[in-house]
Amino acid sequence: MIKLSEGPSFLGTLVLVFLSMAVLFAVDTFLAGADRAESVAGAARLYREGEDLMQHGRHAEAIGRFQDALSMERGNRDYQRALAEAQLAAGKSADAESTLSDLLQSDPTDGSASLLMSRVIVKQRRYAEAISYLHRAIYGEWKNDPAGNRLRARFELIDLLAKRNSKEELLSELMAVQDQLPPELERKRGRLFLQAGSPNRAAEVFHAILNDDPENADALTGLGEAEFARGDYRAAQHDFQSGLRAAPDDQEARQHLELVNQVLDLDPTIRGLGPSERFRRSRRLMAMTAEAVRNCAGQNVLPELQELLGQADSAGKERVKPAQESENAESYLGLAEQLWETRKKICKTEPDSNGPLALVLARIAQ
Amino acid sequence: MDSEHVPNWIARLTASLERLRQRENQLSLVLSLIIGALVGLVVVAFILLTGRFAARMYPPGGSGWRRVLVPVLGSLSTGYLLARYFPFARGSGIPQTKFALFIADGRIMFRTVLGKFFCCSASLASGIALGREGPSVQVGAGLASVVARNLGLTPKQVKALVPTGCAAALAAAFNTPIAAVLFSLEEIMGDLHAEVLGSVVLSAATSWMVLHLILGDDPLFYVSGYRLLHPSEFAVYAVLGVVGGLGSVCFVKLLLGLRAWFMRLPKWTVWFQPVVGGITVGVMGYFVPEVMGVGYHHVERVLNGDVVLKAVVLLAVLKIVATAVCYASGNAGGIFGPALFIGAMMGATVGSIANALFPGATAGPGAYALVGMGTAFAGIVRTPLTSVIMIFEITRDYTIIVPLMISNLIAFFISQRLQPEPIYEALAQQEGVHLPTVHSRVQAERIQVRQAMRAVPAVLAPDLRITAALDQVKEGVLEAWPVVDPNGLCGMIRNTDLEKAACDGRADHKVSEFLGADWPHVHPDHSVSVALERMGVSGLKVLPVVSRANVRQLIGIIALNDILSAYGVLSPLAPAEKVG
Repeated sequence: MIKLSEGPSFLGTLVLVFLSMAVLFAVDTFLAGADRAESVAGAARLYREGEDLMQHGRHAEAIGRFQDALSMERGNRDYQRALAEAQLAAGKSADAESTLSDLLQSDPTDGSASLLMSRVIVKQRRYAEAISYLHRAIYGEWKNDPAGNRLRARFELIDLLAKRNSKEELLSELMAVQDQLPPELERKRGRLFLQAGSPNRAAEVFHAILNDDPENADALTGLGEAEFARGDYRAAQHDFQSGLRAAPDDQEARQHLELVNQVLDLDPTIRGLGPSERFRRSRRLMAMTAEAVRNCAGQNVLPELQELLGQADSAGKERVKPAQESENAESYLGLAEQLWETRKKICKTEPDSNGPLALVLARIAQ
Repeated sequence: MDSEHVPNWIARLTASLERLRQRENQLSLVLSLIIGALVGLVVVAFILLTGRFAARMYPPGGSGWRRVLVPVLGSLSTGYLLARYFPFARGSGIPQTKFALFIADGRIMFRTVLGKFFCCSASLASGIALGREGPSVQVGAGLASVVARNLGLTPKQVKALVPTGCAAALAAAFNTPIAAVLFSLEEIMGDLHAEVLGSVVLSAATSWMVLHLILGDDPLFYVSGYRLLHPSEFAVYAVLGVVGGLGSVCFVKLLLGLRAWFMRLPKWTVWFQPVVGGITVGVMGYFVPEVMGVGYHHVERVLNGDVVLKAVVLLAVLKIVATAVCYASGNAGGIFGPALFIGAMMGATVGSIANALFPGATAGPGAYALVGMGTAFAGIVRTPLTSVIMIFEITRDYTIIVPLMISNLIAFFISQRLQPEPIYEALAQQEGVHLPTVHSRVQAERIQVRQAMRAVPAVLAPDLRITAALDQVKEGVLEAWPVVDPNGLCGMIRNTDLEKAACDGRADHKVSEFLGADWPHVHPDHSVSVALERMGVSGLKVLPVVSRANVRQLIGIIALNDILSAYGVLSPLAPAEKVG
């Protein structure tokens, strides 16, 4: 056993060790602080260089700068986001996804990272996940301009939903941004309402625009489309014509007008037609339907269809007295509807739902 | 100071310290905490200084000539300091630590600690392609030894504290406390059930906390999430194990071969031999800057998928050559860091090829680089368990464990088959040091040679004539005699060999002409059963007992009858009695 008197160095050594530790702690803290300050400054410089390179489209070089910046100041979320953006821009979506996964793992409420992640995932056509990330971006945390960024995220979501033709979700998102839109985006909103299957709201939007600017060609065409979707072909024709007067080179409006004219020429149910004209249109509609069914059925005609087609053929040839025209017109329309229904059962190809025949038959079915 | 004037609190403190000192277990735990904190602080300073100096010596984007001149000047200056003032601070520090632990009663000089710290900082900061972890281990072990000795602890207590210093150093250097504990037990102690486990864990944890307190919670490498895409990837990881194993063997053989070559050069060249390493790194660094220094920055980029196949292949080859030359030429620095670098490049190579061949079924090259690090570590350092846990701690990702185990064990197996002697044992052998194996340390628990051996008897000189030798030994009691020159033991010669030479008409020949290249021997800490086995294999009934630190240093001899006496089968020998 060692006695204290024999080993005065025990206490002395301990004191020396603790003193050394205190000095080392001070030196280490100083060195670490200086190191950190240098790293932060160096990283900020590299980040700025990366931003410049991004602006000049040199994405691959920018990635290198951002990676260097990150290695100097690890965990800086701005640098990580910038790196992910550069990776996305350079087409390295797997790398971008990995970078963003790390960011979101450490903070799942990061709105900006969620928005970027949705863009990455959209490129990979994983739309359902992208929509989920866009929701996270909308309800997530934003460091700068949260309201503006959330609105932008919602618009990206709206665009994606429109692209995916998810009408119900699109409509609910549009309703959510209804009062937050800047005036320059009103026309887009009208179009999106149309896409969401809400022509009444679209028409309201376009009417509001036309109140301020009655000669707005886009709004006139949009209103025409809304009226067309509502089945008010006369009003649609008028709006398209007005739109074309305001913008004669608008090919889209011209095509819409042409379609409306075809529908109006074919539709036997339009108000104001005389009995003869109604009869003539009904017979034409029945003949066109029979022709369309025959074209799609080919040689394999079922007996049931054969019978309907035979009825249509003989009805097309029969002579009808003026007094019976109204009655026959009704039966032609009934026959046309039956043929159209049978077509749905036997034909593999869907009919062009925006063609005049389909539009008129849909209207009659309503 | 008069004891009556000592303030109460000092008296109470002194009494508490005295009580602590007398309770061995408590003292051991308290010292583990203190050593853990002290070593952690020193290693953090080492990391920061090395990093800061390196950033100034050869900054990224600096001129090519600077990358040539800095390593040359760095190796020249540290070479002189190492040769002149700190001869024990060369190399990695692991063999030196094991030497201190098993042969020198845990004794490491403070001068060696200082030399290791400053020479290694200068070496690494000048771009020498070696690592900082091995030297940290020696610095940590050295500090533990210095503190323990100055506290007046017994050699046994000093030896028990040395592994705590090692674990604390590695925990701070790699930021991997569990791997540090395992390394101390697996490699340094060679025994996973060592009694010092508690102290080692405590000091590693303390050191790791110090590291986090000062440098924050940054892992050694930031790595993106790892994913196993398809079960068939296990086959690719097996291929990586084969590549890693073969690469490790190439590296170890090249390093040992070069080290042997440098050791054959005249002694006066020792102080500028490191310059060969400096020139090699400088020339390589002129064209490929990534090969300089520890290279962790580049490793991190590769781990995150920034991989160009040709570049990673080139870097793997260059780093193998650069590290082997730097180490073999006598620069201060370790091989842990380079092993990770080489492994990452080999892994990225295999990963890139696999990814090009099976893009849908394999992860990116970064994942393979990560596993490759562990693979090379297992192949080169031969600590498979430590390497698995280390990579696990670096990634903090459980899914990496199985691929790691597969490739690590394959690399370990290949390395063991093609290079049977582990690198640290081989390096120690080259220095003339025979480190005890785990087996021999277990044997040492039984009756040891030191307890049975006898003092050195009359010895023969190698240039002695056979007739003179016969005259000298005719009164002796041994059947074989040590032959010793001014540098130490040259071999053993039997009486029968001397008599046969005289009968064959070669009585005027020298004794040295009848000596073999190798001679059987035992060390004092061997068990007597080892001595018996070696007697059986060699046919000699007398074996020389030599130092582990220098196999030519004759300490005594042991004869068959000495062993029988130790077991009480024979009574102690009379001087005139014929033995053997």
